[in-house]
Amino acid sequence: MSIADIVREATELPVSRSADECLKCNVCNTVCPVLRVTDKFPGPKYSGPQGQRFRLAHLQPIGGPGSANPPSPDASVDYCSGCGWCTTACPAGVKIAEMNNQARARLREGTRPKLRDWGLGQTDLTGTLGVAFSPIANVAMRNRPLRRAMELAIGVHHKAPVPPFAKRTFHATWKRRQAKAGTGSGKAQPGPDKAIVYFHGCSANYYEPHVAEAAVWVLRRNGFETIVPDQVCCGLPLISNGLYEDARAHACKNAKSLARYAKAGYRIIGTSTSCTHTIKAEYEEMLDMRDEDTRAISAATWDIMEFLLDLHEQGRLDTGFGRLDEDLPYHAPCQLRSHGIGLPALDLFALIPGLRARDMDHDCCGIAGTYGLKREKYDIAMAVGRPLFDKITASGATVAACDSETCRWQIEAATGVRTRHPIEILAESYRAMDRARGTAEPPGA
Amino acid sequence: MPHADVVVIGAGLSGLTAATRLAEAGAVVTLVAKGHARTHWGSGGLDIAAPHAARTPADGVARLAALDHPYSYLAPCVAPSVAWMMERLAAAGLPYAGTLDTPIRRVPTAIGGTRRVAIVPQAQSAALRPWGRDEVLVVAGIAGYKDFWPLAIADSLAREAVWHGADRPAAVVGVSVELRGLGDRHNLNAMHLARRFDEGALRADDIAAIARAVERAAEGRPGRVALPAVFGLAAHAETWAALRAQLPLEPFEVPLVPPSVPGIRLWRVLRDRIRAAGGRVQLGEFVHAVRVEDGRVTAVEMEAATRTHAIRTEALVLATGGLSGGGLRATDDGRIVEPVLGLHVEAVEQDAWLVRDGLDPAGHPVEAAGVRADPDLRPLGADHRVSHANVHVVGGLLADQRSIRERCGDGVAIASGWRAARGLASDATRSPIDCEMADSARTEL
Ligand SMILES: Cc1cc2nc3c(=O)[nH]c(=O)nc-3n(C[C@H](O)[C@H](O)[C@H](O)COP(=O)(O)OP(=O)(O)OC[C@H]3O[C@@H](n4cnc5c(N)ncnc54)[C@H](O)[C@@H]3O)c2cc1C
Ligand code: SF4
Ligand code: SF4
Repeated sequence: MSIADIVREATELPVSRSADECLKCNVCNTVCPVLRVTDKFPGPKYSGPQGQRFRLAHLQPIGGPGSANPPSPDASVDYCSGCGWCTTACPAGVKIAEMNNQARARLREGTRPKLRDWGLGQTDLTGTLGVAFSPIANVAMRNRPLRRAMELAIGVHHKAPVPPFAKRTFHATWKRRQAKAGTGSGKAQPGPDKAIVYFHGCSANYYEPHVAEAAVWVLRRNGFETIVPDQVCCGLPLISNGLYEDARAHACKNAKSLARYAKAGYRIIGTSTSCTHTIKAEYEEMLDMRDEDTRAISAATWDIMEFLLDLHEQGRLDTGFGRLDEDLPYHAPCQLRSHGIGLPALDLFALIPGLRARDMDHDCCGIAGTYGLKREKYDIAMAVGRPLFDKITASGATVAACDSETCRWQIEAATGVRTRHPIEILAESYRAMDRARGTAEPPGA
Repeated sequence: MPHADVVVIGAGLSGLTAATRLAEAGAVVTLVAKGHARTHWGSGGLDIAAPHAARTPADGVARLAALDHPYSYLAPCVAPSVAWMMERLAAAGLPYAGTLDTPIRRVPTAIGGTRRVAIVPQAQSAALRPWGRDEVLVVAGIAGYKDFWPLAIADSLAREAVWHGADRPAAVVGVSVELRGLGDRHNLNAMHLARRFDEGALRADDIAAIARAVERAAEGRPGRVALPAVFGLAAHAETWAALRAQLPLEPFEVPLVPPSVPGIRLWRVLRDRIRAAGGRVQLGEFVHAVRVEDGRVTAVEMEAATRTHAIRTEALVLATGGLSGGGLRATDDGRIVEPVLGLHVEAVEQDAWLVRDGLDPAGHPVEAAGVRADPDLRPLGADHRVSHANVHVVGGLLADQRSIRERCGDGVAIASGWRAARGLASDATRSPIDCEMADSARTEL
């Protein structure tokens, strides 16, 4: 066994086997935000490597033969939010959060999914309907009695943060704009050094098209045109609700549509840290997809802040940032940590004169994707995020920033402080520069 | 690619020491680690040297320095580096008691045994004073908290044998204290209790309850109280002061099975200090390769989702610990290797891995495995020459220490981390309190 083999073994340890590395040191239990606030969850050490002892007999991939074996000694693993802090802190490299996720999938296997868990996974369906009926849907989602009825019927907590639907999807707006401009037909597409492929995911498509617009605008300023191919939800809400088969179908659709760009050298840029992480890592790690197309899109995917910081490191970022005199509390979402790319938004904020961005240094806002929306988990999620909410409120700031959409909604709902994607802050700073130079585009351009 | 003057790999005491000193000297330093370290499962005390028969840490260092041991060249750095460390801990509100000349004495452990220490956090220090003839030891636990069983501990400490001939209390009594709202909690861990004291809402009530119980148990006798080490993390100083003021007898904390609250306090102080001095501390970063050109490290590569993420660097401090930290790995075919750089490892043959008494006073043969270094802590190859000019090896990775038996792990970690940082800080930023003796020791060698 060479040193390279040992490193590879340690790095590529399959999730299920990494339980063997556990030292029983309890470090994971010291960092788990859910264990911090509730007794309903026994903590990462028990649900992960200890519970795995009982599952190791059933090592077949999920959905494969033998996987109908008893899934988990204890259903409390469902209370793991998937935030991933345990995996980050473990001194021994045990992939605890991933193990919990697989155990949850086994729990779900063979049983009909709860309507709610299925529904929370169908983000494209909800989004499409929501946008189509947005005037009614948005009123309905603000209606307390209706939300209570919804809680009773499907178990989504009546106070859980749900943003309003956009009037039109980003994708539709984009298509319409392209048609008007006559692009797409005839005109040669710019090459991979002049254009990127944008993965808008569900949030920027159905709820926050302004995030997508800011991304397109900032990318263009830095010399990159945007290509928006057909795409579906990355599948993360399905994965985290244990619905792996459905998630695989999503992954396949995306791979089919995006792979030819990836293979031609285009980078796939996303504004949702959770979508980009899913494409980068979970298609292979959780869904066991190793085909050529999936690998190609995984390797080509970048978080937008990661991409811009990389441009900066190559000296290619437009650093003409305008002054923004404000305090900006920043929350680094859990999914960002799983990327292993540091905190690129903070590095970029440091380039903006006057901006006082401050890392709130709190583990988790609680929402963890769809976790905090659920009736039985809403209070846990709020308790997990409470210290963060208090810090943001105490800062007196009027705007906060966070890379992940569900975290932004949770923070905004809990604190009343407007919470924005870092790309919106960068766009605002560029606009401030344009105003100072007198080169601002007229509104609406 | 981001750039640092020095990258430190490892978040244990050695890596934290080196990074703190480098950051204070103005170097651009980034500390990366795959997870938490021994800080989270150690006692929080500083084990400098307590080999069999040593009377004081200074005596222990001298005994070890006479052997093939890192202290043979690090000994002159021990006093200044430990003083340097204690100064910083005290300044952050975490004072330590004891010096290198403090007699090594036996103090109670959380399983009712005793261990030999000299330098401990102030909150543990009352255990070190010799026991008066009429003194009672009250062991007070918290009902529902399963890592500290006061009655069992008291039973065990009442036996003469566990004190190994040292002076001991005249009587030992155990008492379990009910704290409000904890009765119905299971899963209670040390962090829950520490956070409860940090939050402060119930602090006064809790302390009053403990005081009443101790009062009853002591029955008017003089003596001291042993408590589980859970009295606050961020608010430890206030909590401890309030406790001392309220209890009828002088209290001391007993470190617990992991997770170690005293160790986490230590970790937090050093992490905050590195950050305050402009350094970076990044957990969840698994270093899987290092780029080397002409015997010099030029960049460190970390595992990340899809693409490797790298930091360019002028120098590397390797603080990855020994076998327990992940700095050394044993292969199936019976070798011990250093996986990050493939450094030359000194270790006994596999036949000698199994011994009759794992706790033999001479130490376990595998414990001594590690990397040999020159007095500047640069790694030596099989040919006894420096193999990598800009790499410094510190802490548990250094060969020829048997830290569990010699109880020298913290001393070696602090002295070597401190020494390596000194060698790396440029002349312009070199701090004035350097240990001249270390230089003379080098010229002698
Ligand atoms: C159970 C046990 C009990 C002990 N008891 C004592 C005692 O009572 N007294 C005593 O003196 N000593 C004791 N020791 C020894 C002591 O732990 C060490 O000597 C000392 O603490 C080592 O500190 P360190 O900073 O060198 O390494 P560690 O504290 O081991 O830290 C290693 C760090 O390196 C990181 N790391 C490793 N590999 C990589 C990689 N490839 N990429 C990124 N990061 C990496 C780890 O995540 C960790 O942060 C004990 C050890 C063990 C295991
Ligand atoms: S993923 Fe988060 S919630 Fe789940 S066990 Fe790990 S730390 Fe706890
Ligand atoms: S932190 Fe890792 S090694 Fe420690 S108990 Fe948890 S899983 Fe095991």
